[in-house]
Amino acid sequence: MVVDNAGHEQVLQAQDQPRPNFHPGPPSTPSSQDTLRQSSLQEHNRLALSHKVGGPLPSRLATPVAPSSDGTSETSSRADLYAIVSQVGEGTFGKVYKARNTITGVHVALKRIRMEQERDGFPVTAMREIKLLQSLRHQNVVKLYEMMVSHGSVYMVFEYMDHDLTGVLTQQQFAFSDANLKSLCQQMLAGLAYLHHKGVIHRDIKGSNILLNNRGELKLADFGLARFYQKRRRSDYTNRVITLWYRPPELLLGTTVYGPEVDMWSAGCIMLELYTKKPVFQGNDDISQLDSIYKVFGTPTPERWPGVADMPWYELVKPKEVIEDHFRVLFKKWLSHAALDLAEQLLNYDPSKRITAAQALEAPYFTQEEPAPALPVGLSTLEGEWHELEAKRERERVKKRRRTEGEVFQ
Amino acid sequence: MATDFWASSHYKRWIVDRAAVQRARAEDRQYVDDPEYLDFLGIFFANAISKLGKKLGLRQRVIATATVFFRRFYLKNSYCETDPFLVIAACCYVASKAEESPVHIKNVVSEARSVFSQDMYGIKTFPSDNSKLAEMEFYLVDDLECDMTIFHPYRTLMTLCCKEGSSSDFDTEAGELGVGVNDGPRYWGTGEGKLELPGPALQMAWFIINDTYRSELCLLYPPHMIAVAVINLTLVLHNPTRTSIQNQSAPAQAAAPRRSSRQASNHTKKPAQDPISFLASLNVSMTQVATIMQEIIALYTLWDRYKEESPSGETSRGSLAGQQGSPFTTSSGGTKRSATGVSRSGSVNTSSGSNGGTPMDTREEGETGEDGKMVVTPTLLSRVLRKMREAKLADLARGSGPGRPMAVNKMIGRAQAAG
Repeated sequence: MVVDNAGHEQVLQAQDQPRPNFHPGPPSTPSSQDTLRQSSLQEHNRLALSHKVGGPLPSRLATPVAPSSDGTSETSSRADLYAIVSQVGEGTFGKVYKARNTITGVHVALKRIRMEQERDGFPVTAMREIKLLQSLRHQNVVKLYEMMVSHGSVYMVFEYMDHDLTGVLTQQQFAFSDANLKSLCQQMLAGLAYLHHKGVIHRDIKGSNILLNNRGELKLADFGLARFYQKRRRSDYTNRVITLWYRPPELLLGTTVYGPEVDMWSAGCIMLELYTKKPVFQGNDDISQLDSIYKVFGTPTPERWPGVADMPWYELVKPKEVIEDHFRVLFKKWLSHAALDLAEQLLNYDPSKRITAAQALEAPYFTQEEPAPALPVGLSTLEGEWHELEAKRERERVKKRRRTEGEVFQ
Repeated sequence: MATDFWASSHYKRWIVDRAAVQRARAEDRQYVDDPEYLDFLGIFFANAISKLGKKLGLRQRVIATATVFFRRFYLKNSYCETDPFLVIAACCYVASKAEESPVHIKNVVSEARSVFSQDMYGIKTFPSDNSKLAEMEFYLVDDLECDMTIFHPYRTLMTLCCKEGSSSDFDTEAGELGVGVNDGPRYWGTGEGKLELPGPALQMAWFIINDTYRSELCLLYPPHMIAVAVINLTLVLHNPTRTSIQNQSAPAQAAAPRRSSRQASNHTKKPAQDPISFLASLNVSMTQVATIMQEIIALYTLWDRYKEESPSGETSRGSLAGQQGSPFTTSSGGTKRSATGVSRSGSVNTSSGSNGGTPMDTREEGETGEDGKMVVTPTLLSRVLRKMREAKLADLARGSGPGRPMAVNKMIGRAQAAG
């Protein structure tokens, strides 16, 4: 058996190095001046009997298996390893920062898991995300470099991505070609196909969780709601997942038994959004969300969705009037025939008939219809970095935007 | 597991060698009278984890994960400098979350308080504050380097030896992460097919795996190797299975003329079960398997001298006490259990006078077993642990003392390791 020992992605924490002194004081929110410092059990004499000299370490642990790509293994302190540049987002359980590795200059994204607020200690969702990301490796899934502990918080260190889909669709400088949009759609589906193959449901596919870099590569991020599922049997999960606008009708109707097909609905929403540049179904609550879906696809009938009447909340939110399916009429000005075909299959009311990610990649839209997918490499000419958070801020303060525009990902 | 074992941190970073395990105990060895106590402490702590885990209703795999966390933590820390009981509680708590069967932090604190206040542990001061446990959890996760995906031998055992679809008898599969993923290569090698172990033998193998967590085996060898070693041991120790194997191979030489009839009967019975060639077909190092078997046997020999007092009023034949025994406890006990395969309680506490006296002072007065060696009890070990920590504290207070030259040595050692 060939053992894959490469593991370039894993940058080891140099745990064997003497750790810097613990800096007392309450954990503070890192500002742009803040740098992260390592803390550890040894420095907290609250727990250990007292200060101690670091214990001897097993040789295997002391020797990084992979040459660390950022050269952190060689010395002294991992304090000051990352300098925070700016905040770029808000995750499920903490803020996301852009930071620079002070040795190599490479940018990373730091996702902070706040511990001090958690009564129950380490959040189970964070633990799930860490375990999931550690087991995933795919060009369309964001890469977790390493974990770091500092100032009473745990940080996840990710590869840095310049933009997210929401941000990049709102900007006006760079226009995506049809081939670009097809590529983005394809990359998203490839990422989902990989996740589902690995037995993972993402459960929060939306524009701000789909990241892009200046090379035009798309990666799925934020696995705070994701979980492993059992392929053989369907289990009961919570239906309070997926941001409302991307939530499939079966969840809106209260089902708790579902699988990867919930992600496919969200993917369908994203596909339409790529062309229309804004979210397609924008409800304010579960009811209005269903209504906005009905306005496009018509009201679900037992013919189109045999199980609809068995949905837990169907009787409660039963549509009062019958609406016809207007999807093709409404969207034909944006989408080609083949694109409409695929979107329709992704947004199938009946979860059991909804197309899978692997099947979707084989759709004529990708395999036959011109133009062939092409990475939006032109993104590298785009000025600034476009994340949902930044897009939001721009609306609020145009001025602030200008200051950060100077930064270009190296 | 959805994760590929060969790509996992478990394989890449957390399988260590014997010397590393030894080094991790260097400081503790400074403060203990007899280094052998440290081995007994390994059993003692694993039992405590198991006991707390059972109280919390954790499944066997979760308890196993907690035990691995505990051992990994003490690759980097010393018993004498930490509170192992707080660490145990944190390990159980983290494992419950990592294995998707979370329990509430309050329950962990209150169950730990009640379990560890029993006489044999004598911990009257287990913190009642949730935040203490949450804090410990934080340091634990830090020292575990956030590597929380653990592979266990149970899964290999069930994949190799369980009948298709009957796995629900055991709790392996239920709720295990990514269990639905059945594609990808089997990570122990090329082996095709299965070895069908009869129920009782399978159960015995399962229990032996439970027992391996009393030692450092989970740090030293990949889980699938441990599983193969355990299957080997089971074939030897489980009488009916061994007999059937012997019957299978013996007539092959003795009764050559009747070969045809034997084959015929084999055909009517089933596809011939040949455990020996099945094991030989596995793409694993049989030398290493033999080493692991030796170490398991060594564990049982040690364990034989460890006697857990039964807390008064509680039946010691319960789930936990049932696991104390070993197939080697006494020769008769061993064979008896091998024969039944299921009953695990036979040999435990048959000579449990140890909880009577609780001798206050010298451990030299400790009970001696039939073979003249000392019997070790949890009460004794609790006292050893307390003494270690007091000695360590005293050294720290003094600022120097016998600990000093040791520290210097360690600095050198570390410089060498770094350089």
